[in-house]
Amino acid sequence: MTSTAFTSAAAERPFGRMMASATPGRSLLLLLPAFLVLGVILFMPLLDLAALSIDGGSFGPYVKALGDPLYVRVIGQTFQIALISTGICLILAYPLAYFMATTSPRLRILCLLLVALPFWTSVLVRTYAWMVLLGRNGIINRLLIDNGFIAEPLPLIYNKAGVILGTVYYLLPFMVLPIFAAMMRVDRQLLLAAEGLGASAVRRFFSIFLPLTLGGIGAGAALVFILALSAFITPALLGGGRVIMITNLIYTQVSQVLDWPFAAALSVLILVATIVAYSCIGLLTRRRWN
Amino acid sequence: MPNKKMDRRGFLVSAAAVLAAPAVLRAQQVPAKPDRLIVNASGGDMGNAVLDAYGQVFTERTGIPVEMTSPHDLGKLRAMVESGNVEWDVTEISGDDGRIAVERGLLEPIDESIVDLSAYPAEARDPYLLTTSVYSTVLAYRSDVFTDAKPRTWADFWDVEAFPGRRSLGGGPEDNLEFALLADGVQLAELYPLDVDRAFRKLDEIRPHITAWWDSGAQHVQMLVDQEVVLSSAWNGRIFNAVGKGHPLEISWDGSSLHRAYFAIPRGAPNLHWSQQFLAAMTDPQAQATFANQLVSPGLNPRAAEYVDPTLAPYLPTTPENMQVSFWQDDLWWSQHMAEIKNRWQRWILG
Repeated sequence: MTSTAFTSAAAERPFGRMMASATPGRSLLLLLPAFLVLGVILFMPLLDLAALSIDGGSFGPYVKALGDPLYVRVIGQTFQIALISTGICLILAYPLAYFMATTSPRLRILCLLLVALPFWTSVLVRTYAWMVLLGRNGIINRLLIDNGFIAEPLPLIYNKAGVILGTVYYLLPFMVLPIFAAMMRVDRQLLLAAEGLGASAVRRFFSIFLPLTLGGIGAGAALVFILALSAFITPALLGGGRVIMITNLIYTQVSQVLDWPFAAALSVLILVATIVAYSCIGLLTRRRWN
Repeated sequence: MPNKKMDRRGFLVSAAAVLAAPAVLRAQQVPAKPDRLIVNASGGDMGNAVLDAYGQVFTERTGIPVEMTSPHDLGKLRAMVESGNVEWDVTEISGDDGRIAVERGLLEPIDESIVDLSAYPAEARDPYLLTTSVYSTVLAYRSDVFTDAKPRTWADFWDVEAFPGRRSLGGGPEDNLEFALLADGVQLAELYPLDVDRAFRKLDEIRPHITAWWDSGAQHVQMLVDQEVVLSSAWNGRIFNAVGKGHPLEISWDGSSLHRAYFAIPRGAPNLHWSQQFLAAMTDPQAQATFANQLVSPGLNPRAAEYVDPTLAPYLPTTPENMQVSFWQDDLWWSQHMAEIKNRWQRWILG
């Protein structure tokens, strides 16, 4: 269904018409280089990983992963943190992206720079910076205490909230940029036309602007969710050793316990879960988009 | 590769090699020299000290420059050895990781005709693992917070009435089970085999007072310095360095856990002869003293003591007084029980 929607939309443009005239076989040929590279460097190791997880033809590692309450809890906690972080990122990113898309070009460039700035320093350094900011004697708690807002320092790190905060901070640009790009593509004349026909601001937003930017939301949400699932340094440092996520579990199995089939099974489970989540996001946003 | 360029240091090294030519000619069957030797160890202060102390001696002797990589990682070692693609000529592989590596056959035996261990105490001689230095996990605290009564033992650490304040312990079962048992009244000599159930019961008591389970050496120092916590288990060298920078920290050796830092050669290492030569350089008493002076982490060559800065003596884990109140962590016991206890630890942390 999505593919027919794509071709009919593409056929309206001259370039699309030109491409549509090529036989499907020949356009598939264009995929060959990417397919070869990905096949060798991505799919083969993944197959190897899957083979390792059923080493000796037994599904023991999977039974262990899904049968032990410990691992089920860690998987659940990982998804919970990833989901909450994605939600918060979306709430923060949407207004910011809207501001960037509607402001003057000069301010827009400044905002883009500020959003991309954290990419230029190491995540480890930034995580330590959060420890200094959020600690009991950190800048935020000092400010609140010195101004009499609170008597006792707030526990801002070394718990789940600290991990979520660190994750949101780290992944926010991945949400802002796709939404910003989608907003820039929205045809302003549609909004003007709606206004001329008497649609209220709320109606214009929910009937036109939001549906047209859903693609950006979907892309951003998928990126943030998948990266949050695989966060490693943030939970290890800001969780105070108390927040165990799936990656920390896999690391322990690979490097300390040396139970590789089990580590592989955990990796396959998280991969499958990611694909499912990704497909859900795609279905939710793309259908409305078309 | 920057190493292939002939810089000034490279020139000096080659000149030294030429001057040492007679020695080289003596041993004619010596295998060809690689353009560098890759030594893998913990990063940070440890890596720098390895390069300054042992790297220098090795390069002086052989003319081969040393390149450091980090971190040491049992999983990566296994992957390298099993895939036949060994990048490390020598690697640190400390504690129970070293024991597991031996058990899994991931290491080359030490060639005692090259690495002279005759001066070493018998219990420090192992066919695969070279004990290069000793460090200790100690009880560290803020000396500006505990001015009158100072916490001394792990029982004091557990006593939140007498020594109030937020605490931190390491983020794994190693050391913590031992400290819990000592706090519960077990004698140093009777620690192993560990009574795991009893240790976890005792850990239940301290859990509400732990702000964070630290993940790295940098983290426990930072938390003590920021007063995030006022008491923590800590590595003696890290606290020594922090004290040197003027932070009000003190340590107690009572019930401290002695650890051996092991270095070894991965099985299938490409320049085996030179790897053995590097281990030989690591037994050099003067090099061990250089290392000890930087990290207060002495080697086991008895002659090294002659060269260690005498003012550092009280800070070394291996002085007779400090040894008397410490225990050697039994890494063999840990390697045999690691998988099971790690699982239980993670369950307990989430519980």
